[in-house]
Amino acid sequence: MPFDSRRIHDVPGDLLAAIDYCYEQGWTDGLPVIPPVVERVEATLMYEGRPPEAVIATHPATGLRLTVHAAAVNAVMAGCLPEYFPVLVAAFEAMDQPEFNFHGSTASTGGSAPLLIVSGKYAEDIGMNADVNLFGPGNRANATIGRATRLILRNVFQMIPGISDKSTQGNPGKYSFCIAERARGNPWPLLCEAQGYPPGVSSVTVFAGGGFCNVENHGGNTPEQILGSVADAMANYGCITLGQSVVVLSPEHMWIVGGAGWSREDAQAFLFARAKRSVEDMRSVGKYRDSEYGKQHGASAHAAVEEGFVHRGLMPEDILIAMGGGDAGGHSCFIPSWSRGRGSIMRHKPIGVCIDCD
Amino acid sequence: MRLYDPTASGPERSLARAAVLASLEGKTIGILENGKLNAMEMLREVASLFEERHGCVIGGIYSKSNASAPAPAGVLEKAMGEVDFLITGLGD
Repeated sequence: MPFDSRRIHDVPGDLLAAIDYCYEQGWTDGLPVIPPVVERVEATLMYEGRPPEAVIATHPATGLRLTVHAAAVNAVMAGCLPEYFPVLVAAFEAMDQPEFNFHGSTASTGGSAPLLIVSGKYAEDIGMNADVNLFGPGNRANATIGRATRLILRNVFQMIPGISDKSTQGNPGKYSFCIAERARGNPWPLLCEAQGYPPGVSSVTVFAGGGFCNVENHGGNTPEQILGSVADAMANYGCITLGQSVVVLSPEHMWIVGGAGWSREDAQAFLFARAKRSVEDMRSVGKYRDSEYGKQHGASAHAAVEEGFVHRGLMPEDILIAMGGGDAGGHSCFIPSWSRGRGSIMRHKPIGVCIDCD
Repeated sequence: MRLYDPTASGPERSLARAAVLASLEGKTIGILENGKLNAMEMLREVASLFEERHGCVIGGIYSKSNASAPAPAGVLEKAMGEVDFLITGLGD
């Protein structure tokens, strides 16, 4: 269908009636949406340099395409302010990379939701929350960028719960799953720096995440104690696979780890070495597979892989660690990947800039 | 009030169903397994029913490297040239 045929719905001028109209069309996630009036969509489009018909992402199975225009419509519906739009665009550019496999992660019984981690100054510029109540609720940017991501999966890519989204139990993150990395008091380079972006360039990382696992430790006061708790969560029988991991350390925990001089790489190495289960233990719950063990222990095995054990992931770099949350509380979190192997690999893109573009 | 439609424009490609086989008797079966636990066992069991009931033969076994992604185009093209019909399904 050519772009000229953008469809306009003329509805009565009553706002509540327009919200009901959106429900009737099947355009919502169950919560009310902002009716996507033409003027708000046009204002949102001002934050993207490419023309409205430019394609951001394509569904690998159906061929359905996400245009800049369709992204803006869904951003408005989610409640995004126009200045949030570059984050949403960058997120879908990242999700469009085949390694991320947004079709599989959205359609699967596994109940994945795309977690967005925004790193760098742009998060602060648009008022994102990296602090207390990190995962919500309470912040418009976090809530609506994550929600817009899900509305696009539903409305543009037709990943409809119960039809093409077959998640067994769903996931609260399927309403919204978007955070900012905390820069204040962070002893480590920000993710956007570690990812190699030039100074001043922010990034968004996308990760097909499973459920949220709180890691409480108010008694530990060494990196080994704090990260030992995290590693135990990562290796629980319900979560341990060859998939990747996201760990968000609370400031209290980060200041213990970073304060002792541990780098991000030190922490990744520790977690990879400790987040493991013996073959015997894996067999005891019916989760051991020769093929997975072989993949982890084969010719290209990482040097830290221990004989007779199944580790979480294939290498330390499979564990993304960032800081986030309020000053008070020994509460970090671990988020397992939807993928039990390499079916979805986290990706990242710069926000609002084009680096090495064609 | 004028609202934009948030759904996508349709893909510009033509899709058509394959012609229905006039008969299953003696046809060559392909198996496309997705690599998940029990997938191959389940698909072989189904194929064996076609062997018993219709004299079919298994002519090709194909695999997907990623269970949750579409089969690579090369795999399907290869199967088209080698078998009369393909059996696939989820294993887990």
